[in-house]
Amino acid sequence: MANRIQKAVPLMMILPGLLLAITIIGYPIIDLAWTSMQDVSRFGKLTGFNGGANYAEVFADPLFWGSLWRTGIWTVAVVGGTLVISMPVAMILNDDFYGRGLARVIIMLPWAISLTMTAVVWRWALNGRAGLLNATLMNAGIIDQPIEWLATANTAFVVEILVGILVSIPFTTTILLGGLSSMPQDAYEAAVVDGASGWDQFRHITLPLMKPFINIAIVLNVIYVFNSLPIIWVMTEGGPANGTDILVTYLYKLAFRFGQLGKAAAISLVMFLVLLAFTMLYVALVSRNDRDDAAPEEEVDA
Amino acid sequence: MTHPFRTSTATLALSLGILGFVPAALAETVVDFTVAEYSSKTGPYFQEVANAFQAENPDIRINIEVVPWDTLLQRLTTDVAGGSAPDISIIGTRWLLDFASQGVAEPIDGYLTPEFKDTFIDTFMAPGVIDGKTMGLPVAASARAMMINMDLYDQAGATPPTTWDELYEASKKIAALPETFAFGLQGKEIETDAYFYYALWTHGGDILKPDGTSGLDSPEALEAATLYKKMIDEGLTQPSPTNYTREDVFNLFKQGKVGTIFTFPMLIPQIKAEAPNLKYRIMPFPEGKAKATYGVTDTLMMFADSDAKEAAWKFIEFAYKDEWREKFDMGEGFLPVTKNVAALPHFTEDPDVAGFAAGLPYAKFAPTIANWEEIADVTVRTLQRIYLGQVSPEEGLKAAAAEINKIRGL
Repeated sequence: MANRIQKAVPLMMILPGLLLAITIIGYPIIDLAWTSMQDVSRFGKLTGFNGGANYAEVFADPLFWGSLWRTGIWTVAVVGGTLVISMPVAMILNDDFYGRGLARVIIMLPWAISLTMTAVVWRWALNGRAGLLNATLMNAGIIDQPIEWLATANTAFVVEILVGILVSIPFTTTILLGGLSSMPQDAYEAAVVDGASGWDQFRHITLPLMKPFINIAIVLNVIYVFNSLPIIWVMTEGGPANGTDILVTYLYKLAFRFGQLGKAAAISLVMFLVLLAFTMLYVALVSRNDRDDAAPEEEVDA
Repeated sequence: MTHPFRTSTATLALSLGILGFVPAALAETVVDFTVAEYSSKTGPYFQEVANAFQAENPDIRINIEVVPWDTLLQRLTTDVAGGSAPDISIIGTRWLLDFASQGVAEPIDGYLTPEFKDTFIDTFMAPGVIDGKTMGLPVAASARAMMINMDLYDQAGATPPTTWDELYEASKKIAALPETFAFGLQGKEIETDAYFYYALWTHGGDILKPDGTSGLDSPEALEAATLYKKMIDEGLTQPSPTNYTREDVFNLFKQGKVGTIFTFPMLIPQIKAEAPNLKYRIMPFPEGKAKATYGVTDTLMMFADSDAKEAAWKFIEFAYKDEWREKFDMGEGFLPVTKNVAALPHFTEDPDVAGFAAGLPYAKFAPTIANWEEIADVTVRTLQRIYLGQVSPEEGLKAAAAEINKIRGL
């Protein structure tokens, strides 16, 4: 009995927080789900239940599937690119060198600027005739004709992914830097004694120990990037010809330009479910791996 | 330990605050007015009108909120959905039908006295009338026209064109000049479709056929789109139009790099401020089979669930006094919507303004139909695909017309 109460105590302690979270997160989702099954006027008045009509319309819409596909590319490319760049950056910033404080500030600085502002600056920089990027490349002799970066969907999307990576670096570097600075130094010393090269140290010590931090960086970044509107919206509004639309920009157009709030609600719910499925799958995968990894150690402890 | 002094001061401050605040709040009627931002002058201008009005009517307070055009519709949508709509707002007339059909807009016939109604130019009143009810007042109007860079035309030895064939020939000469583009073609974001309607209308086509179906699959539309595409392919436009918004094209013109653009009167004050040495001329759109220009009006709308309609109307009548209208139209570069202002010398004698106003007798307006924004988006998407060469004009326009007919339920 006492044991059972003891077990219930932690649950009771998190209960208020849990309830609050359920109310704050759950209520909008339930409301959204309800809206997505209704005919909705352009000003958000529910005008009648229509079952799955909104969903049927969404799934029959080629622009939805195109946007979903691009959302996948966008998310994988931005999150992957960010990690690949942030890891070495974090390792460099973790080393002790003259001016490290300044270097850290410079890396973090873009974080202080809103995404929209960054995107506006890039939109100007990428302008075909008056943009700084073309001017720089032409002065450096790399190109001899200005390139219209945002004129076709392919180049525009690549450029947007690069900007996406750029703005995700500060946050990711911070997480990884936190992990690196908490790492035990004696492991490295032992490895050096055993004759491990720099790559060996990275491969067999840094990476495994950094796993929890990399995992959290992946999950959080996927959630942010998947839902990120400003970069694409400011630079191309999903155009030209919907060629850079991801789900969230398409959704924004549907809801606030065309006033199709029911269809938009259906897409948001689909987006929520995709993210939820990803997060649950990923967390399950990670914790199973952790259990596998941890098993032998437990035996040693025993 | 207590702090008698602090407590009593706090109480005093609190009661003063309450005493000071409550009577004022009770006596005041607040009118929330959402203003679309035409330029940096818009906000200060309306604040000035509001201040002058409040000086005469101390019991009414005008609460002005300036919202940029790009986010205005979204803002009003969420305001209405959230039950916190303003009392009056400036909106694009093309949205009025949606507002009216959903019961969001208040018919104003009951407030509109014959004398007040008579101050407006009838052409501009008409788009605000839906099913016989006046749903809003024209607040700003513009007509579009062609603007050419005279220096470039002289240098190239080209004659200012009056027909599409002449424009094409002149463009060939101008494109031969170094670092110069002959024809500025917009292909990105807001009003990309309008840039095409200019050509569509002057070729004799229309956005909707008489039977209400889309006019994009008409031979006139095909002719217009084919011409634009041909000009892109032959290097007569700036490269990659799909990267150029309206403002980007106008900027090229201000820099003196482009020979011909299609534009609105609001560009004139900008040119005077930013490129005073530019020699330009305003001309009617080149003709194909018809004369046409695009007339655009914005509407001042009252919301049906406003609780300050009387006060709001009082303010509206005040704001339409000649002195204020004159200041507004001059400041923003609009064409006047009221008869008295239209009669002022500036609007009859200035060649720039007159050049734009000349088109008004044959101006076309965007049709007041439901789902207009979505239809415009289909058009823009199709044009972009044609400009990029992803689809042939014929195929693209046909598909777009079918899609638009589907949206219209036809």
